[in-house]
Amino acid sequence: MSERKLSLREAFKIRELPILIYVVAMIVVFSISIDGFFSLKSFENITRQITTIGIVSIGMTLIILTGGIDLSVGAILSFAINIGGLGIVAGWPMWVVYPFMLVMGLALGWLNGFLVTRVAVPALIITLGTMNIYRGAIMVITKGRYITPIPKAYEAIGSGYVPFVFLALILVVFIYVSLNTRFGRNLFAIGGAEQSAVYSGVPVRRYKMIVYTLSGVLSALAGMILVGKSGFIQPQAGVGYELNAIAAVVIGGTSIFGGSGSVLGTFLGSVLMGLILAGLTMLAVNPYWVGLITGVLIILAIAADTLRHLRRQS
Amino acid sequence: MISIEHVSKSFPGVQALDDVSFAIQDGQVHGLVGENGAGKSTLIKILSGIYPDYEGSVGIEGSTVRFASVHAAQAGGVATIFQELTMIPELSVAENIFLGREPVRRGGIMDWKTMWTRSREALDFLDAPLDPKAQVSRLSVANQQIVEICKALVLSSRIIIMDEPTSSLTEHEVRQLFALIRRLRERGITILYVSHKIEEIFEICDWVTVLRDGRHIDTVEKSSTTPDQVIGMMVGRSLNMMFPQRSARPGELLLSVRRAGRTGEFADVSFDLHEGEILGFAGLIGAGRTELARAVYGASSLDSGEVLLQGHRLGRFAHPSQALSRGVAYLSEDRKGEGLMLQLSIRENMSLTILKRISRYLFVQRRRERELVDEYVGKFKIKMTSVEQLAESLSGGNQQKVVISKLLLTEARVFIFDEPTRGIDVGAKYEIYKIMADLTAEGKGIIFISSELPEVLGVSDRILCMREGKLVQEFRAAEADPEKIMRVLAGGEAA
Repeated sequence: MSERKLSLREAFKIRELPILIYVVAMIVVFSISIDGFFSLKSFENITRQITTIGIVSIGMTLIILTGGIDLSVGAILSFAINIGGLGIVAGWPMWVVYPFMLVMGLALGWLNGFLVTRVAVPALIITLGTMNIYRGAIMVITKGRYITPIPKAYEAIGSGYVPFVFLALILVVFIYVSLNTRFGRNLFAIGGAEQSAVYSGVPVRRYKMIVYTLSGVLSALAGMILVGKSGFIQPQAGVGYELNAIAAVVIGGTSIFGGSGSVLGTFLGSVLMGLILAGLTMLAVNPYWVGLITGVLIILAIAADTLRHLRRQS
Repeated sequence: MISIEHVSKSFPGVQALDDVSFAIQDGQVHGLVGENGAGKSTLIKILSGIYPDYEGSVGIEGSTVRFASVHAAQAGGVATIFQELTMIPELSVAENIFLGREPVRRGGIMDWKTMWTRSREALDFLDAPLDPKAQVSRLSVANQQIVEICKALVLSSRIIIMDEPTSSLTEHEVRQLFALIRRLRERGITILYVSHKIEEIFEICDWVTVLRDGRHIDTVEKSSTTPDQVIGMMVGRSLNMMFPQRSARPGELLLSVRRAGRTGEFADVSFDLHEGEILGFAGLIGAGRTELARAVYGASSLDSGEVLLQGHRLGRFAHPSQALSRGVAYLSEDRKGEGLMLQLSIRENMSLTILKRISRYLFVQRRRERELVDEYVGKFKIKMTSVEQLAESLSGGNQQKVVISKLLLTEARVFIFDEPTRGIDVGAKYEIYKIMADLTAEGKGIIFISSELPEVLGVSDRILCMREGKLVQEFRAAEADPEKIMRVLAGGEAA
């Protein structure tokens, strides 16, 4: 009956180790090959770059842990800021606009969760639908118009290290939640064996509602930061975010089948993607390479996950 | 005492339980037996809260209960260990034990210490040297079962239902499980033990209840009955009909395997199979029989050795399609994974491998397909609503008949049957033996791999014993007896 023992802490360490090695290796390689890569300036650049995707992908991690997926995060982000933007145009004060944006994110996320838990259709399809619905609604409501300029006050949230502080806070909170609360631990149960979780009395439906709703709120928050950084609001905001977020989650070692993974891994995944983008840009490599490399990383990450699955079965 | 009174449950077109009444005494191990479709699973699902809608009533300690969910049943003191284990692989042993009722502090923050201590206590009670912090995905099936039992203990369950608990355990692990069950009984816990395996029931249970076709046949104390009687009640006929008579005598050489080997799995295996012969492969789990069969068939590959058909050298099959085209068919032990397309109909499953033969130009000839399918459905008495019924909704025995039909339709001459009777009921087993007997009467040869000694002995002409990847001894059916074979298989002397 001897089994290989592995405590939680060890498992936690091991899971993020490969991605951490990649990140460190990447930093070393770029620091050697690029003058001035290892500097505060580029650190700031990279952190600024990854914050929005980073925040969105943390919400995505929770959803993917339960075995779900959310393709509508970019659309929610855009919906929240564009509808909120109408408030800005109408002269609402900021303390009304920001909560309003978050509530928009919450409402759309909740709707995703509602549909996923009530309709017997995979989350992939549901959120593919809601993505198109949300995007369509934005175009109908805004008629495709940009909102620019926006009041200076809205740029505060996107300036300097403020975005990174947001990301760091959210990161710490959700690492803790996912490892040390009943809600967090039960997400692994839902993704690992949903029927068992139901049988064991885990409130599967409620928890699923919560993760989709949380993801909606986080998307809206990422949108607010995006507005702060760019200084304008456009209907096409957040296009492609869903795929980048999923990429960060998968590269970070979370199983696309649900049930295993980590929030920290996702963060490292988005750092890795940010590093590659920044490094290649500074090397003056044609930016088209970035997509190609990201693609290879995704496939490698999934292959590693599948291998883990196979080894477990044998 | 658990009293089940006039319980009936029906599904569209099926009366799963028909006015079943019996009582389970406290602190006893109560066996529940019956063929597939007898209503065992339905009854378990009612008791464990999965089916809250049924007629009649269930009473525990004199008060009527009706569990609306598994959770409610657990709260009411009834814990069920389902056949398919319900472990969460990524979580720790302790988290699995407490899944759904984790001890938490304010704000839903896990109270790890309490969880680990209480898990430790439960594991200690069962004498299980498992670490509460170990990740469940790293445990063997047997140890996962221990975790399930701990779950029941932590729930302070008074009644534990075990559904086919030994189906994926080795002999040694079964021993350990039985020791656990006895300890639970000493603690005053009532156990409802559901199994196909009569020997097990007679070893571990105090009482036996037999269901057949959804009806309660009898509830008897073990000491006042015999295995033959119980099997008789299950199938409605007596035991001496367990194996069909065979008329075929081995004829010409069909298949030869010479010095076959595959690293880490088996080595230097040679044997011949003749027309009309059933060649039994006996062995313990892990002896390398399935690995050998898969390599011969081309599902994996041989590292050394060769395969000959009727004395012609073939080298090795590189792919199952090569084996099939040469008339060698393999029935996998993994019926659902490798035999059936669960989401396809009976018709589609059967005609899958012969589409080319029944097609003209690009089109499948529906009428021809239908004729062939109807022929086998009739021949094997497959119970179904129509040939369009999905394979997943059939019982295990009927699923197996569909897979076998598919193989027969390929017009193969050599059949490798790997655990063809696993997980199917006694009546269906008999029908499978009958099909095998009929095949040999037509001059086909069968390699029969089974972990159940009685059937290997009952059906085969010759029995090859494998141990740790090697052929250790051959018996003629006439000279074999279970004890001799078991001695060879379990190691020790070659008699």
